[in-house]
Amino acid sequence: MAIVDVDDMYFHYPRATLGADDEGWTLCGISLAVNAGSTLGIVGESGSGKSTLVRVLCGLLRHQRGTVRFDGRDIGEFRAEGSNELRRKNQIVFQNPRRSLDPRMTIRRSLSEPMRALQGRKPDDDELIDSLEKVGLGREVLPRFPHQLSGGQLQRVGIARSLSVDPTVLYADEPVSALDVSVKAQVLNLLMDLRDKLGLTLVMVSHDLGVVSRMCEEIIVMRHGRIVESGRTDVVLTRPESAYTAALLAAARVTSL
Amino acid sequence: MTNADALRITSANDDLAIPAGPRSLWRRLRRLPITLYLGGALVSIFVFVALLSFVWTPYPPNQLAMSNRLAPPGTPGFLLGTDRAGRDVTTELMLGARNSLYVSVVSTIVAMVVGTTIGLAVAGSNRFLQGPLTRLVDAGLALPGILTALVLAAKLGPGNTTATLAIIVWQIPVAARVTIGPARQVLALDFVEAAYGYGRRKPYIMVRHVLQNISPLLIVLGSVMFAAAILIEAALAFLGVGVQPPTSSWGRFLNETQSLLEAAPYLMFFPGLAIVFTALGFNLLGDGLRTVFDPQQARTGLS
Amino acid sequence: MLEICDLRVHIDGHEIIHIDELDLPPGTRLGLVGESGSGKTMTAKAIAGLLPDEAKVSGTVRFDGQDLLELNDAEFSKIRGKRIGFVFQDPARSLNPMMRIGRQVSEAIRLHTDLKGQAVTDKVVELLELVQLPDPAALVRRYPHQLSGGQQQRVMIAAAIAADPELLIADEPTTALDVTVQDEILRLLISLSEQRNMSVLFVSHDLGVIRFVCDRVAVIYGGHVVETGSVEDVIGRPYHRYTTALLAANPGMPKDDDFTSFIGQRLHTIPGSVPAIGRFPSGCRFRNRCEHASASCAEVPTPVTVGDGHRYSCWHPDGEG
Repeated sequence: MAIVDVDDMYFHYPRATLGADDEGWTLCGISLAVNAGSTLGIVGESGSGKSTLVRVLCGLLRHQRGTVRFDGRDIGEFRAEGSNELRRKNQIVFQNPRRSLDPRMTIRRSLSEPMRALQGRKPDDDELIDSLEKVGLGREVLPRFPHQLSGGQLQRVGIARSLSVDPTVLYADEPVSALDVSVKAQVLNLLMDLRDKLGLTLVMVSHDLGVVSRMCEEIIVMRHGRIVESGRTDVVLTRPESAYTAALLAAARVTSL
Repeated sequence: MTNADALRITSANDDLAIPAGPRSLWRRLRRLPITLYLGGALVSIFVFVALLSFVWTPYPPNQLAMSNRLAPPGTPGFLLGTDRAGRDVTTELMLGARNSLYVSVVSTIVAMVVGTTIGLAVAGSNRFLQGPLTRLVDAGLALPGILTALVLAAKLGPGNTTATLAIIVWQIPVAARVTIGPARQVLALDFVEAAYGYGRRKPYIMVRHVLQNISPLLIVLGSVMFAAAILIEAALAFLGVGVQPPTSSWGRFLNETQSLLEAAPYLMFFPGLAIVFTALGFNLLGDGLRTVFDPQQARTGLS
Repeated sequence: MLEICDLRVHIDGHEIIHIDELDLPPGTRLGLVGESGSGKTMTAKAIAGLLPDEAKVSGTVRFDGQDLLELNDAEFSKIRGKRIGFVFQDPARSLNPMMRIGRQVSEAIRLHTDLKGQAVTDKVVELLELVQLPDPAALVRRYPHQLSGGQQQRVMIAAAIAADPELLIADEPTTALDVTVQDEILRLLISLSEQRNMSVLFVSHDLGVIRFVCDRVAVIYGGHVVETGSVEDVIGRPYHRYTTALLAANPGMPKDDDFTSFIGQRLHTIPGSVPAIGRFPSGCRFRNRCEHASASCAEVPTPVTVGDGHRYSCWHPDGEG
């Protein structure tokens, strides 16, 4: 069953000038389905709209045309009833961990924010330590500030934070591109472990085909706001139908080990 | 090594990204900018003198001694001399400091609170409103301050309250305008988006995230606004819009020395320099604070 | 062309770089690979004379026979730009947003060559063509924000080679770019290097990129070169445990299109993370994160040479058994 279902969705940023030929739209004619428990990779270069797509799917941005359904219901319905359900079940992990945590909040506070906001309660330290252990961190980071932690540690805090409210779908927007190679490996392994253990649906945005091929069974390729190609990763990346996908693959292979 | 093992070692070995700063307090103090010390010293002197005036002045306030008028500095018993009514200059300066402190504190606090709130509201408003609202604030900025003060004085009569009110009206747009830009920048940052992501709404974000993250800037703004308030209060008193006798004010004192240029040309330096140094002190303090808060996330060496 | 001998850099009492020897013959491309905090950028800066004031440097960095570390600022400025060119990571930040492209490139030309007037303008167009920018005559009047990231980087490269330098130092020049653009820029660097017999010192965290661009590579960790050799040797047959770990941790792409066994496969990780300055262990800098470390690693490993120019410093290299 598709947990996220998109049909011919269009999105443009406010104050964009729209023109003929879908000019000005950031996302055009997006149709896709994400099955519960699966891992979907979204690849594309800068300007392809992949990050925007994630934000529309989460409900952070409002699309102007087409339908986006979460768990069978139109996301407009969730908004109308004013509940936090959509927000709680869809969480995002951001690219740059150093920027996605408020530099003036302790880790303890940052970690408890989602629960405070979405469940109206304050988690106690034991719960927080549990979350931290899941991502391989210890209690000593609780009183610290972001600038005192390394990039890898911060990204793990970011992951712990988004998992603290038991989301159904986890969106990861380039979760490892700002990290060093060795730390990248740790975080990728972590994401895979967590996904398996918690039965998460994972949607991963990445420009790195290597990362996507390691983590995602399904893949969509985006360019200029449109889906150029989609399907099973092994099929798309071995027999790409679109010239663009082929070009991406070729470029990636040149510089991959 | 299994992934679980690697994770366990990770949490044990993970060094903090930043080594501890200089160990000793002395080294840390040495690193502070000199403007902070200079400004801090000047401001402290000002505040101390102003507060001291409540408990002690060399002579009782307003003690006239017409026989002793315009005594030059160094006259026994009058360190800085006397003014044209025989009042001790030192006492006058101290009392004037008290006045300046009162006016600048009240006006700055009110202007900052109101101005910052307006600035945050504008920065957080939706895209269509933001342009016009910002222009409104700009219009407020364009209001000629002195004229506003004169109008207020005409309606309410001169005095401390009028001066304070005039300064507030003058400074609110300044605070608002200065807040808007940085507030918008913070709103565009990733962690704000993350906050929306986990369900926070705009009012909360404006206070908890934006306000907190622009607070270093606001501290600097505050110190600069203090300096401005001192100067404006002096100017208004000079123009006769501020406090009236017998309350002392540096500005009024300065005004009086104008007509004494022949009889006692040195006299104008006392209130003049008091104003200059106090304003300078606040400006330096603001500059030093800005330097201190800027490299808040400072790292050393390799990055 | 470039010979580094016993280069040591101290900051705040900590020795952050110690390189025994590193060579870059003319016309070759050497990659300096390491993660953040490894010292690779500092090394490049030490060579360029761009270290912060508090840094204390010792040793020799011989450029075409002349020791760069003995030069004062004025003398060094003459070499910088003229004989050594630089390309940095983020072109958007290295280009002045208020200055037209043509003017920025012509500044480089005017500073380091004797050309004047029309000759300068001609040279600018020539350089922009050399870096494969379309319609150079029109481009000179544009501002940086009107160009794409890849185009901006090409402009940077044009400015860097304006005076025909013998050495080009490139610090993560393609990290901020899309993969297809990266591909083109890297090919451009390779062809420029070959055409002009220009040596390239390529600093990057990406081994894949270095393998593509460079002939030789030096792996740097904690300010020490832990392994060096030709890219085939070091990547194909690594000895130092950090090199092997780095290679294993790289996500890479599936070999022979075998996606099915690739997917879901956990990566081999390096425990912990790169320590902050002054927090590295004594002896072998990697030993607190190395699975094969032993008591003897408290001593700085002596370099071992295997094969042609392939050197590593490890007490328990890969293949030891």
